[in-house]
Amino acid sequence: MQTTIMADYGDRKIKDAQMRASINQKLVETGEKERLKELLRNKLIESGWRDELKAHCKEVVRRKGLEHVTVDDLVAEITPKGRELVPDEVKRELLHRIRAFLAQQSNI
Amino acid sequence: MSLSGCPHVAAFKKSKGTKPFRIIQAFFVSCSSVENVKRKARAGSCHVCQQCNQRLHACLTCVFFGCYTMGHIQDHARSTKHNLAVDMTHGTVFCVPCGDYVYDSEFEQISQEERLNCSKFHGSSVQGFSAWEATGYEIELLRRNPTRKKVSGSSTIGLRGLINLGNTCFMNCIVQALTHTPLLRDFFLSDKHHCENERSRDNCLVCEMTRVFQEFYSGIRSVHIPYRLLHLVWTHARHLAGYEQQDAHEFFIAALDVLHRHCKGHNGASGNNPNHCNCIIDQIFTGGLQSDVTCQACKGISTTVDPFWDISLDLGPSSSSNSAPLPVPIIVPTPLPDFSLDSNSSGSSTSSSSLHNGDSGLMSPPGFDDVPHSLDDCLRRFTRPEYLGSSAKIKCSVCQNYQESTKQLTMKTLPLVACFHLKRFEHSSRFRKKISTFISFPHELDMTPYMSTHRRANGLSHHPRSNRTTTSDNQYSLFAVVNHHGSLEAGHYTCYVRQHQDQWFKCDDALITKASVHDVLQSEGYLLFYHKRILEYE
Ligand SMILES: [Zn+2]
Ligand SMILES: [Zn+2]
Ligand SMILES: [Zn+2]
Ligand SMILES: [Zn+2]
Ligand SMILES: [Zn+2]
Ligand SMILES: [Zn+2]
Repeated sequence: MQTTIMADYGDRKIKDAQMRASINQKLVETGEKERLKELLRNKLIESGWRDELKAHCKEVVRRKGLEHVTVDDLVAEITPKGRELVPDEVKRELLHRIRAFLAQQSNI
Repeated sequence: MSLSGCPHVAAFKKSKGTKPFRIIQAFFVSCSSVENVKRKARAGSCHVCQQCNQRLHACLTCVFFGCYTMGHIQDHARSTKHNLAVDMTHGTVFCVPCGDYVYDSEFEQISQEERLNCSKFHGSSVQGFSAWEATGYEIELLRRNPTRKKVSGSSTIGLRGLINLGNTCFMNCIVQALTHTPLLRDFFLSDKHHCENERSRDNCLVCEMTRVFQEFYSGIRSVHIPYRLLHLVWTHARHLAGYEQQDAHEFFIAALDVLHRHCKGHNGASGNNPNHCNCIIDQIFTGGLQSDVTCQACKGISTTVDPFWDISLDLGPSSSSNSAPLPVPIIVPTPLPDFSLDSNSSGSSTSSSSLHNGDSGLMSPPGFDDVPHSLDDCLRRFTRPEYLGSSAKIKCSVCQNYQESTKQLTMKTLPLVACFHLKRFEHSSRFRKKISTFISFPHELDMTPYMSTHRRANGLSHHPRSNRTTTSDNQYSLFAVVNHHGSLEAGHYTCYVRQHQDQWFKCDDALITKASVHDVLQSEGYLLFYHKRILEYE
């Protein structure tokens, strides 16, 4: 019993990864990924997300000193805050767009 | 973090130049050809673990893709001494020995160029975003003006009382509403008006508005005396001159008209709005009103679309409403029904049967009470089909005969800022009176039900809201309300304005006091200003 569940779980993980890869391929192939990126970038700018995050980054750099901070440090420090600050409306709109895109793609 | 490269980047450029970097940018980061897009789509996973979403990097020296999160690109670099890798999402260069991303001005330049090509290729309507970089002139300006003002959430910058110059509260409240119109504020504070004629600057209302905006947002809190503005409006809109009390709505429309005329030089026939002008006023305030006249004989529909700056809404019972539209530059065709067609006082639907057989037996009796109680009621009435009467036969463009017809107004295109004028003043040859009924209006307004696409499709069905589409594009937020107090003869105007996201203030000439949303929504609104919540790029 235990083993079959594990096997199913492993199976599903592989399938998920395959699905993710083929969705990604479709998004890139059709140019939709670029358009989504642009949409996201614009929405984040107009919602003030970019400015807020930038201020936060400046703060981290100032605290640690420019010479002592790597991009990885910065990413590690601001990622939680960055995720949290994305407005729900922006998430919803993007999700909606991605769903609509996938619905159009019959061969995934 | 180094902003001036590293020895590894310098060594790489010396032996191989920048070409490998450009190729990777063009092939795998910012593609601008069908071929490259296909290649990128195929190549998009780690050569070691096959995953595609773990911060994929491309080796700058050989053909290898590895992910960053799992350390596969770093492993490759260490085992091959291929020091540099390009982030395939952002195009930045990672130096493995240095353990960080490295900025090199030549590489930056290249990736920017390729990014631009990419966004052109994908037919993006927007120029790819690039952050503001100060020009030499701007750096000089900043140096010469070292004082910085930070606008925090509790800042009162932008709030200033206005002196009443003798019955000029009608102007003061409009100035308050305009200075709190977000898009207009952004336009004026970023100094976007470039005056056509150097010599006529003193005579230009747009220049004067620029000064008023600067006064408002200077941080000075003492009252402002808008005498220059008043003088200019008087010279350019003569019908408003004189010290007697004027109508705030009339002043608003006149001010927009003068501003629009003084924008000349920036006006062009290329504007997307129905007024075909791309001046800032038309970009913000112009919407398109569709009028569908349906011939009762052949059911043919003649459609016209007219630009509007505001929507004037009747408040009286529809059967006795007899007011003439105000002489405004853009006349909103106000429905002037002879009869009420709608026997349904809830106003939720207009049944097609009563409309289409045009039988007067189905008309409401004269004086039937269907006075609106909310902005929604007003808008529903404004956009419902009206029987034009048997005496008003119109030549049908389909059957070419003079026929009885019905007319329906709907919103073809929505303005960025919607101004609703509740017609509280009734002027007729017989009487002048003020309607003081409370009309409720919402904080957030959805205009979808009044759109041509929606209303026309549903106007003839029995379920007007059944296939309602909720798009965020038609959502509006309230940001200013002008109120009229007292009677026609001895009245006074005040205005509520919104600061930041959710703070309200009452402007009563020189006096500014904090208010609550509740105060605003309970007030006897005369002019209601809403702005779109989401702006689309043009
Ligand atoms: Zn290095
Ligand atoms: Zn990997
Ligand atoms: Zn390599
Ligand atoms: Zn000017
Ligand atoms: Zn114009
Ligand atoms: Zn006809």
